[in-house]
Amino acid sequence: MIEFRDVHKHFGQLHVLRGIDLSLSEREVVVVIGPSGSGKSTMIRTINRLEPIDSGSLVVDGLRVHEKNVDVNRLRRDVGMVFQSFNLFPHLTAAENIMLAPMRARGLSRRESRERAERLLAKVGIPEKADVHPARLSGGQQQRVAIARALAMEPKIMLFDEPTSALDAEMIREVLDVMRQLASEGMTMVVITHEVGFAREASNRVVFMDEGRIIEDSPTATFFERPREERARQFLSKVIKH
Amino acid sequence: MIPGAIVFEFPKDFFGGLWVTVQISALGLAGALIIGTGIALLRVSPLRPLRWIGAAYVEFFRNTPLVVQLFFLFLGLPLIGFRFASDTFDNIFRAACVGMALYHGAYVAEIVRGGLLGVDKGQIEAARSLGLSYVQMLRFVQLPQTFRSIVPPLGNIAIALVKNTSLASTIGVADLLFGAEVVESRTFRAEEGFGAATVLYLFLTGPLGFAVNALERRMLIAR
Repeated sequence: MIEFRDVHKHFGQLHVLRGIDLSLSEREVVVVIGPSGSGKSTMIRTINRLEPIDSGSLVVDGLRVHEKNVDVNRLRRDVGMVFQSFNLFPHLTAAENIMLAPMRARGLSRRESRERAERLLAKVGIPEKADVHPARLSGGQQQRVAIARALAMEPKIMLFDEPTSALDAEMIREVLDVMRQLASEGMTMVVITHEVGFAREASNRVVFMDEGRIIEDSPTATFFERPREERARQFLSKVIKH
Repeated sequence: MIPGAIVFEFPKDFFGGLWVTVQISALGLAGALIIGTGIALLRVSPLRPLRWIGAAYVEFFRNTPLVVQLFFLFLGLPLIGFRFASDTFDNIFRAACVGMALYHGAYVAEIVRGGLLGVDKGQIEAARSLGLSYVQMLRFVQLPQTFRSIVPPLGNIAIALVKNTSLASTIGVADLLFGAEVVESRTFRAEEGFGAATVLYLFLTGPLGFAVNALERRMLIAR
């Protein structure tokens, strides 16, 4: 489903991705952890080409993402993304946020997209917020709308870039619950998170990144019980303690 | 003497002129918004040549006097074979509208550009990550948010534009100022004539300022 081969990327002088090799099959849930500045976020953003790459190859759902003639909008319709800062459109209501892309990029009618929006808002547990603007929603509710917005395109893959890092403790759970449900339904997911509980329960594999490289890529149970790499072990002890 | 009574002695000059001023203002403002938005989009375009064209437009129209531009449109263009209308009065009226739109479009462009750049980058990424094209992203996400944030400075431009239409009288448009001048030359009652014109301009700009404030409040609520 997703295949990185020796992917490199620079930001000016900074070598942020130093030879990423990673493959994900369908219905797999992979959690990416690592210290800040390790390239996690850049890596996940190359999957839908929000970031270009300098060399190597990246194939997503059969498409060679970074080739010139790839229809990037087509690719992105099939790859949902959820951001740390939600990025809901403030001038639209929750339902309109969800309806926009299905109507404009998939050509659904207003009625069809409205039905879809209502169904998805029910799925993420806030059916009563359809006609509310984002400013009137809590952080956890906003992030759940953002997940619903991404799901409305019926993507094959969902990317989560630290979806709970901007949330208060009591709201983290409501977002993770939605993500857990999604994982159990068989969605292919790449999730950057430090939520160890979520990783343990919902993911198949854990990828540990540091300094632009994948240091360890292990099945979830193995990773948490006996991480191979010293750096991963140190990082884990810090994350779990707090 | 009743203050202001002069407008009813010469209703055609004052109210007719006021109506012409309203027309030039409305058409000029509509044109300025369209031109300004277009130029702003050029200025933030990913393509460098388009950005240059946008910058050149702004520098040219912002850095030359409006009166000179009006004279060029009215007197200069016909010499190179272009008129806005064959009828002289239509021609100067249209030249005035176009002049207002071109000149104020440069200012609108700078404001819209600032607004476009002020939209959070995450908004653009979210829209693009959903598979919306660049143009769809502009139309449904970036531009609507831009216009919500720039209502107050656009209001200033609108008010300036209404006042600047008085320069159209210099190329012979029978606007409000022109009407006041005509009355003054006939009656020598300058203090009454121009006093009345001042009040009539205030009747236009005052409510306009009020409307802008109301619109701004509404936009804040909708955000």
